[in-house]
Amino acid sequence: MGTRALPILTQNPIPPARTAQPSASAPAGGGLTEPMGFFTDTTVCIGCKACEVACKEWNQLPARGDGGANLQMSGQSYDNTLRLSGDTWRHVKFIEQFPQPYEGRWLMMSDVCKHCVQAPCLEVCPTGAIIRTEFDTVVIQSDTCNGCRDCISACPFGVIDLNHVSGTAQKCTLCYDRISVGLEPACSKACPTDSIQFGPIAELRQRAADRVVQLREQGEKGAYLYGADPQGPLGGLNAFFLLVDEPEVYGLPREPKMPTRNLFRGSLWSTIGAIAMAVIGAVTLRARRMQDVTRTNSHEGE
Amino acid sequence: MYPRDMMQSDCVVIMGSNMAECHPVAFRWPLRARVNGAKLIHVDPRFTRTSANCDIHAPIRAGSDIAFLGGLINHVLSSDRWNADPFFQSFVSTYTNASTIVSPEFKDTEDLDGVFSGLEQHAEDPDWPFGGLTGEYDPASWQYAGTAVQTTGQQTAYTARAGQTKQNQGPQTATPKHGAAPGIPMDAGTTAAPAKWDLLVRSLLKPTPRTDPSMQDPHCVLQILKRHFARYTPELVEQVTGCPRTKFLTVAETVLKNSGADRTTSFAYAVAWTQHTDGVQMISCCALLQLLLGNMGRPGGGIMALRGHAAIQGSTDVPTLYHSIHGYMSAPSALKKHDTLHDYIATETVPTGYWANLPKFLVSYLKSMYGDAARPENDWGYDWHPKIFGDFSHMAMMAAMAEGKVKGMLCIGQNPATSLNGSAQRAAMRKLDWLVVKDNWLTETAMQWKNAPEIDDGSVKVEDIKTEIFFFPATQIGEYEGSYTNTQRMLQWHFKAADPPGDCRTDTWFYYQLGQRLKAKYANSTLKRDEGWKHLVWDYEPDFTSGEAPNATGEADALKLLREINGFQTADPTKQLSGFGELKDDGSTTCASWIYCGVFPAWSNNLSARREPDPPETPGAELHWGWAWPANRRVMYNRASADPAGKPWSERKRWIWWDRAVQNPPDPTTGKAQPPGRWVGYDVPDFALTKAPTARAKPGGIGLDAHTGAEPFIMKPDGKGWLFVPSGLVDGPLPVHYEPAESPVHNQLYKQQSSPMFKWWARGKSYNLIAPVGDPRYPCVITTYRLTEHYLSGAMSRWLPYLAELQPELFIEIGRDLAQERGIANLDFVTITSPRHKIRARALVTNRIGAMTIGGKKVHHVGMPWHWGWQGLSVGDVANDLTSWVGDPNVSIHEGKAFVCNVEKA
Amino acid sequence: MQPNLPSTFFTEAPHFRWLIILYFFVGGISGGALLLAGLVRLFGRPEDRPFVRLASYLALVGAVISAVLLIVDLGVPLRFWHMVVQNNTGRLMFKGWSPMSVGVWGLLAFSVFALLAALGALAEHDPSPWRPFRFLVEAPIAAVVAIGGIITGLFLAGYTGVLLAVTNRPIWADSSWLGLVFLLSAISTSVAALLLLARWRRVEGPGTVAWLLGFDRIALVLELLAIIIFLVSLGGAIRALLNGWGVLLILGVIVLGILIPLLIHRGRALHSVALSATLVLIGGFLLRMVVLLSSEGIRVVGAQVIR
Ligand SMILES: Nc1nc2c(c(=O)[nH]1)N[C@H]1C(S)=C(S)[C@@H](COP(=O)(O)OP(=O)(O)OC[C@H]3O[C@@H](n4cnc5c(=O)[nH]c(N)nc54)[C@H](O)[C@@H]3O)O[C@H]1N2
Ligand SMILES: Nc1nc2c(c(=O)[nH]1)N[C@H]1C(S)=C(S)[C@@H](COP(=O)(O)OP(=O)(O)OC[C@H]3O[C@@H](n4cnc5c(=O)[nH]c(N)nc54)[C@H](O)[C@@H]3O)O[C@H]1N2
Ligand code: SF4
Ligand code: SF4
Ligand code: SF4
Ligand code: SF4
Ligand code: SF4
Ligand SMILES: [Mo]
Repeated sequence: MGTRALPILTQNPIPPARTAQPSASAPAGGGLTEPMGFFTDTTVCIGCKACEVACKEWNQLPARGDGGANLQMSGQSYDNTLRLSGDTWRHVKFIEQFPQPYEGRWLMMSDVCKHCVQAPCLEVCPTGAIIRTEFDTVVIQSDTCNGCRDCISACPFGVIDLNHVSGTAQKCTLCYDRISVGLEPACSKACPTDSIQFGPIAELRQRAADRVVQLREQGEKGAYLYGADPQGPLGGLNAFFLLVDEPEVYGLPREPKMPTRNLFRGSLWSTIGAIAMAVIGAVTLRARRMQDVTRTNSHEGE
Repeated sequence: MYPRDMMQSDCVVIMGSNMAECHPVAFRWPLRARVNGAKLIHVDPRFTRTSANCDIHAPIRAGSDIAFLGGLINHVLSSDRWNADPFFQSFVSTYTNASTIVSPEFKDTEDLDGVFSGLEQHAEDPDWPFGGLTGEYDPASWQYAGTAVQTTGQQTAYTARAGQTKQNQGPQTATPKHGAAPGIPMDAGTTAAPAKWDLLVRSLLKPTPRTDPSMQDPHCVLQILKRHFARYTPELVEQVTGCPRTKFLTVAETVLKNSGADRTTSFAYAVAWTQHTDGVQMISCCALLQLLLGNMGRPGGGIMALRGHAAIQGSTDVPTLYHSIHGYMSAPSALKKHDTLHDYIATETVPTGYWANLPKFLVSYLKSMYGDAARPENDWGYDWHPKIFGDFSHMAMMAAMAEGKVKGMLCIGQNPATSLNGSAQRAAMRKLDWLVVKDNWLTETAMQWKNAPEIDDGSVKVEDIKTEIFFFPATQIGEYEGSYTNTQRMLQWHFKAADPPGDCRTDTWFYYQLGQRLKAKYANSTLKRDEGWKHLVWDYEPDFTSGEAPNATGEADALKLLREINGFQTADPTKQLSGFGELKDDGSTTCASWIYCGVFPAWSNNLSARREPDPPETPGAELHWGWAWPANRRVMYNRASADPAGKPWSERKRWIWWDRAVQNPPDPTTGKAQPPGRWVGYDVPDFALTKAPTARAKPGGIGLDAHTGAEPFIMKPDGKGWLFVPSGLVDGPLPVHYEPAESPVHNQLYKQQSSPMFKWWARGKSYNLIAPVGDPRYPCVITTYRLTEHYLSGAMSRWLPYLAELQPELFIEIGRDLAQERGIANLDFVTITSPRHKIRARALVTNRIGAMTIGGKKVHHVGMPWHWGWQGLSVGDVANDLTSWVGDPNVSIHEGKAFVCNVEKA
Repeated sequence: MQPNLPSTFFTEAPHFRWLIILYFFVGGISGGALLLAGLVRLFGRPEDRPFVRLASYLALVGAVISAVLLIVDLGVPLRFWHMVVQNNTGRLMFKGWSPMSVGVWGLLAFSVFALLAALGALAEHDPSPWRPFRFLVEAPIAAVVAIGGIITGLFLAGYTGVLLAVTNRPIWADSSWLGLVFLLSAISTSVAALLLLARWRRVEGPGTVAWLLGFDRIALVLELLAIIIFLVSLGGAIRALLNGWGVLLILGVIVLGILIPLLIHRGRALHSVALSATLVLIGGFLLRMVVLLSSEGIRVVGAQVIR
């Protein structure tokens, strides 16, 4: 069940902001095994949604609507899920690009938590519910989360949301319960085309790079990797993607950032403002005392 | 071919199927081929999830496939490459009937403006007036010059004169629909037909057809083809299909470029080629093209028939088909000369080619039916076997039901209330006295008496329905063990994973119990017609030698069933047969389905349960994974993967070849030494193992002796691939583009609008009206199809939360310009009207479908999935209320894929 | 095809709705109140004492309401303490870089000082059962309490804006000035609240009111400046306000909540204080409402961002 407790791997989550390297973000307790994750090759996604269903099956997530009944179609191509949420941890996006009839292309992409190497959600979580596992993945401990929802606003990809059954924030666990016993995650296991590939990040990055070259040679000039660069935003994504159009087209941010980028300046301005107001207050009050002595009467008339 | 083999294709044309959505797991193979540089092409009225993963999408109007394929054929025949490349020349001249001379009486559609010689009126049989044929052919004039292609002519003459439907003709068995090709025992070079029926079979021999190796004779097949397809120019293709000429030409060039000695192209189709009034001709048109391109019997070549329902392949092998018995033998029929066993064999046996062994198959089959009671003196119980006397296909039965001619129905694993021409079928079923539904859910069929649309709208009163409906809860596949035949003719054994809930019973339990009870009822009958029941062997009691303990008492033993299908020595059932080479026609072997013979050679050795993949990166056919009939062969007619001399056509496309070095054991039957040399390769050779490429045909020989060592198509009387089909198809020896029964335009090729003999049941009945050509009330062409998210009538998906939420509502896909014309916005409710019915659905406005210019006329193409009904979590109107009872004259499939309608804002 | 949207637009809304808006409003007021209480106690005159007491009570009541609002807003309210103590290790839970974590501790500290201030205030009454707490209003303790109040008050008034800035949501995270805006608005609203309360409780020493008005004027002017800087700093993300919310911000917050009150102040007519104060309060509330809800409305649906 999604609300399964996970072993504590860290007393106080080390803010990934200060740990560029996965290893550095290793849990203080247990040692870090090889970083694991997903390479999602959207060019071989057939939009079958097997991943979405497999995820719900394995994690026993509720169907939307009342048990799947009385739902309306979205009218947005074949996408009736529309977003990742507390009860949908995998979501297949459908992007129709047809300027005129029959002329165009239909992009499909299976979206999921990116398991950021520097995870904004983990960074802000005030209860320590979000942890980094020995696989360098990011997991929410549902028994710790109290539903404050700070992480929801912190995730640059809109991955997290409240699960209305548990009242806690939930998202992909990268099948922690499966991979920790040597099983492949349910979604990638179900993927019939290997659009979702699970494995050690280093290996996946190599495979992905080769695939990009191959696609370019075959004429798909737009092919590139999103989130594969450890020097890139958030120290790289442990679930990265091969895309053939601008990130925004897939509903992905061009430059995902750490929330703390605003922490220093935001606090600075406020502090300055605070001191200023305190001083102004003090000064004006003192000034008034001075006045009193001299001009008490002149005020009487008013 | 089989799905995994598509990985070896250099080009894959998916036409008549939405492979990625309907066969997602199989689609991984063409996709893998594409990743490695192969070209994928999708020819479809819609841009689907398959198109999204192809290099080229060519939009065509539903029902215009033969025009498109004809265009490809014309392009190939008139291309320099095809005429110059020695590969094509040698493949076509040696492996096909291109050089065979056809009877001068034959008149082509060219001569008769759209029909072939031999067209006649069709008279319905008064006893069973539900054949539905609108006309019929006497194929006498289609034969090879000077020689009727064995058995068929004689048979046709018989039924033609009798004026009865040819639905049940031998030809279907002579050239099985599903490409059935029995194998040859690994240990026997040739198989002479055995003594008992030898003389009879020999007496059937006809002179061998004349050929013109230069293929110049005006009456030779190639010349006829050239004339026949000359009309199919790119311009005409564009006019008829609506596919832009340039798109068509890119497809043509890509296919031609990727065919030859070291490249192969494959085609994949499913029901968008079958569900037409000329569906079988669409498929044979593709076969014709693939033969011309030398893409048959070779790795990565061929035609992938993507079967539908899980194990639907099995249901035609061990048939639920009314017109055939096990292994694609014709069902004994009152309409053919089948009066005695002798007559049956004389009518059905093709003396040349492997079908010459039919007597062995049939006698072994009769032994499986009647056991010890089947003896030579009673013709192995042949007379006890039921005979058909008309068209008992699905819609024929429904039409009869509507006339009150059918009293009861067992509906097991089907949901006819929505899955075919719904409202008409529900009306028909309301005429039944009793209806048994055995299903996992309370389907629309089970609940039609309570809340069908016609009951909700008050037009039918519940109290007026006299039908008594019984519901039996069924187990699911994971709740029992058994075998399962998939789209590559592969049997895979599945084991029981969970106990069935409550009173759910397997279907075998139901049949086994029903059989026992019926036998008891007939036990004391003195009527002759009940003899069969009295002698029927019916023992599947588990003896716990099988793996799984039975679910419920009275459960049949799945392994015993498999053993009966596989066959055994009559004298000792524990001696199971290891291949159909062992079959005898003297009653010493018992075998229900000769094509499955060999899957279960010993009780301890169930080959369908094997799960051993080939080592990675080794060329091979995964021969140790499950078991594929015939003889575990994966690519049929694979002798064609080597050149006439037995060498691989090319290194890249090596599959089966002749190794002259291999020493052979002495002939087991005669005991005399055999010369060295053997067919070897990655697959089980589909040829007499030790028959040299240079072997000559034995004069007056029967069976395979009648073929040379360079004639790969061993099921054919002449061992050749048929470009021109002298027998086997009731609607013509060559494919012709005809318009669907309902079309907005006139046929632009010939005066003949639609197939001259398509089936139209319940003609003139109010519930089965057909719109006249170009009827302004129904301007749109509509097609129906599936979604990945749902399964068929939806009983297996609309009840499941995780699937229902993915496609929660019925919709119709319409193009942006139609939406503008009709003021329809995305998600608006619209009404869809056909001459039969009117339904409601949401509009999904998209440019993935749109208007086409057909014969200079703008035609809007729309389409909708048909998964919905009123039961389950996600409910919606029944798309099949719109469709009609018209179908293909060969196989009686309804034309669900192309008809006309109107779409208006609701 | 998406226009080249700011990256913050591709995130999910945290459902910070009415309870949070209310908390930001009330928290701001009580924070400001304790600040004023402290300032006036330290630098005011004896006649201001009733006002100081009033402000202290307001601060305490505000702190309690704030805590309740925050807890009720949680997905699992009974786990509120997880923010202070790690449920599964028993260790203290503090993240210096997470405004929410710091905020919780800040609110805690604030509540302590608000309580002390209030107790002191109660003890000042004569006679009063709270006499034992008299020491709280006697030097040097009084000074400590006051200074603590000033610091924590300012913190409470200001951190909420920083909390929003330290996310990835549109508008909030597209500028680092929100903290200052909230701080100043907290002060102006607390002054306004106190003016009204004072009038109601009849504790308005004329001098106090005059000073408050003056202080308020400064706060309002600075707030106006801060809001302008904030809007400019939004850059491309401003598009999230090119709608009803933007209009509400200008008419409701700036015109109604700042400019008109400033005008009223010019004619220093005391009777109009009530009106201007009310407007300032409304403006302050609208400010928080606009900032939260305008951002809340933006989310990714399918592959498109919708508002
Ligand atoms: N998810 C899922 N998979 C299934 C099934 C299911 O219900 N759901 N059903 C199973 C069964 S029983 C079957 S038979 C198979 C069917 O497999 P398919 O035949 O592939 O499925 P369909 O969706 O019926 O039709 C395929 C495509 O044919 C196109 N089409 C319609 N008319 C024409 C035409 O005249 N010419 C051409 N070239 N294309 C046309 C439609 O636009 C559609 O995209 O799928 C099997 N697999
Ligand atoms: N318009 C239009 N109509 C079509 C088609 C089309 O493309 N267009 N496609 C046609 C095709 S190809 C097909 S195959 C038919 C399919 O039409 P049907 O076969 O009538 O439809 P299904 O939903 O497959 O019905 C199968 C039923 O069997 C039940 N079932 C599943 N497993 C078992 C079991 O183990 N035992 C028993 N007893 N029941 C079981 C399911 O719950 C379901 O109710 O529809 C045809 N109808
Ligand atoms: S994608 Fe979002 S939820 Fe997943 S780790 Fe990164 S920030 Fe956290
Ligand atoms: S909602 Fe739960 S996981 Fe998210 S930040 Fe709050 S406590 Fe942490
Ligand atoms: S890894 Fe597991 S939890 Fe994550 S999306 Fe896949 S199936 Fe769901
Ligand atoms: S399972 Fe694989 S192919 Fe299917 S939608 Fe998910 S990612 Fe795409
Ligand atoms: S449903 Fe079964 S048969 Fe159909 S694609 Fe999936 S695995 Fe294959
Ligand atoms: Mo089917």
